[in-house]
Amino acid sequence: MIWVSWRQHRSQAIACLGLLAALAVYAIVVGTSMRTAFGQDDGLVTCLARSQGNGCPDAIHAFTDRFGSEVNVAFWSVLLILPGLIGVLVGGPLIARELEFGTWRLAWSQTVSRARWLTVKLGLVTGGLIVLGAAMTAVITWYRAPMDRLTGRFLPNIYDFEGLVLTAYILCAFGFAVLAGLLLRRSIPAMVAAFIPWLAIRLVVEFVLRPHFQAPLTFHQVCPQNGSCFGGYGLGILPPVTGHIGDWVLGQAAGPAGVNSYLYQPADRFWTFQSIEAGIFVALTATALGATIWLLHRRAA
Amino acid sequence: MFRFRLDGSSGVPPYLQLVHQVRQSLLLGYLREGDRLPTVKDVAGDLAINPNTVVKAYRQLEHEGLAGGRPGQGTFITATSSPTLPEAQQALRASLEEWLRAAEEAGLSSEEITALIAVARHDLKKERV
Amino acid sequence: MIQNDPGTSPPALRTDQLGRRYGRVWGLRDCTLEVPAGAITGLVGPNGAGKTTLLEMIIGLLQPTEGQLAVFGETSHAPMAARLARVGYVAQDHPLYRDFTVADMFHLGRAMNPSWDQELAQARMGALDIPLKRKVKALSGGQRAQVSLTMALAKRAPLLVLDEPVSSLDPVARLEFMREVMAAAADTGLTVLIASHVVSELERLCDWLIVLTGGHVQLAGPTDDLIAAHRILTVPRATPDAELPGLIIHRTDSDRHSTVLVRADPARLAARQHPGWQADPVGFEQLVMAYLQRPSKTARDDTAQAAARPGPATKAVTR
Repeated sequence: MIWVSWRQHRSQAIACLGLLAALAVYAIVVGTSMRTAFGQDDGLVTCLARSQGNGCPDAIHAFTDRFGSEVNVAFWSVLLILPGLIGVLVGGPLIARELEFGTWRLAWSQTVSRARWLTVKLGLVTGGLIVLGAAMTAVITWYRAPMDRLTGRFLPNIYDFEGLVLTAYILCAFGFAVLAGLLLRRSIPAMVAAFIPWLAIRLVVEFVLRPHFQAPLTFHQVCPQNGSCFGGYGLGILPPVTGHIGDWVLGQAAGPAGVNSYLYQPADRFWTFQSIEAGIFVALTATALGATIWLLHRRAA
Repeated sequence: MFRFRLDGSSGVPPYLQLVHQVRQSLLLGYLREGDRLPTVKDVAGDLAINPNTVVKAYRQLEHEGLAGGRPGQGTFITATSSPTLPEAQQALRASLEEWLRAAEEAGLSSEEITALIAVARHDLKKERV
Repeated sequence: MIQNDPGTSPPALRTDQLGRRYGRVWGLRDCTLEVPAGAITGLVGPNGAGKTTLLEMIIGLLQPTEGQLAVFGETSHAPMAARLARVGYVAQDHPLYRDFTVADMFHLGRAMNPSWDQELAQARMGALDIPLKRKVKALSGGQRAQVSLTMALAKRAPLLVLDEPVSSLDPVARLEFMREVMAAAADTGLTVLIASHVVSELERLCDWLIVLTGGHVQLAGPTDDLIAAHRILTVPRATPDAELPGLIIHRTDSDRHSTVLVRADPARLAARQHPGWQADPVGFEQLVMAYLQRPSKTARDDTAQAAARPGPATKAVTR
């Protein structure tokens, strides 16, 4: 049964490997030149060693502008939906294709119960997707390493691809699509029907829930008497007003008059947040796949 | 190997067709004593018919004393020919020709002759039912 | 209650008041049959009559809503794998994985069936000149049908179920396909169940017959017995139904005469024969067509109707 599942998903596996290879090529090309530039930029390196980057915003900006296509909204939008696409493209046809083409009559009349057929298949494909997600995350993390030292990892467009969540996003889209495939019995409608709620949840979690996974801290910015107060928040503000690279500044807060106050999440909460968010999406995956197995078993009975 | 054929539109049950073919072949000398008839599997696979039909035909032949099964070896022709001798067949042929000539002289067309034969055979069959 | 009689081999198929409901509609109801091992059965009926429902329950793709079912003794309460192992199945349109090679399909068969006979599968491909390395999508319709059949036969299950196996094939491919089925049946004593609505081809293939219309069994039994139990009577037009012996299946009236298909045992027919009548045996196709054309009444209605008539009770052919 393991061979059967593998053989049925072989071309998908090859396509995913191709995607990974393309990503790796890009990563190596850009990542290597980034590392070289970083290593050669003595000013940047000494500045960081000395001051956590506070004293050299220009050098930082020069570097990020050079390699900063990641801040581009269009680029980010594409990468936002990529895990969802991978998930639904793999999950949609898993059951739906058998129903569409009538091969379920072949597959489910061999000497293997439907439940076992599905469980082995889901186990193998889920494992493959976890490996894919981990590999993609590793490749992206590697190539972004120099940049991450300047920007931290908490900013949304970086957070989404490092750590655990990328894999979790893929799994959730996959789970939704498998369930949709069983219910709708057609691959393409299943892909669409899974993608839309996945995207909605993805956006809600990112923009509504994520800032509040743990209660944000407040930072009061002390402005020098005669100097300019460098304030603001957002993706382009490097380093963040808190002065510590990697902090995620959420917005302004109420505070004493005359002082700029900001809500922020400290950088050391990165892995906690990753775990919480990954946990949400993995729980959704497990629910969707569990429901699929149960429904299939019930229909056979 | 002896090959059977099946006429789907003849109205005669398949097993009887097989029996008739063996009888006919015996009459004409195409089958002789000691010849081995094809296996049930060969006939069923050749004609795409139910193997039980073949079994039935072979049993009928055994019943009529025309063939017999030897365990482990197959079914073999046991009769030298059907009870009707070639001479009897000649006599039948002669009287048939005489009748046909009489029918033509009476003015029957070819189709009418065929129809008359069919009706007579049908009535004869009805008597036996 | 289905119970197996120890000491005799179980029948290939045994159903008792079997039924399946889809929402409000009954796809099959009151189905009670017993088909012996080794029989080659034709299952006939118009589309929507319940053939697919019955077949899917036999195979294990569908659970009954009511009644009981046993295939070679394995009831519908047995573990799924045990039930699935009893039946080899060729679905309509012979579904296969188009991207797989023939060898891949056999690998699947081996992986998913403990009783798989790889030598048989390969030998059949050799005999039919179908290369193992060829992809399914590159095969002709007839070759795909043969591969599907091989998948079912190599499973070495005692029952082979074919659902409209030749309706999509050209005449030569049809003949080739059925040749293989009959040869396999002769070889191994395989029990075969063929669902078809090409009645003309079933006569030479089947020694058992089941006619289904409107979700109910209209006729079931060995074909020889069924044919022997019917007659075509040619009677004067004015003859009323009540005078006719047995159960009237189908009556056609002309200006001066009527042709009636009746079901009765030969003794009863002989007793009630009228001098002006003519009795002929019924042909297989005639018999099936007559039952297919009846308005959907259950066999129980017929038995009740026959019981209400004067004379000895008609021998029921459904059991």
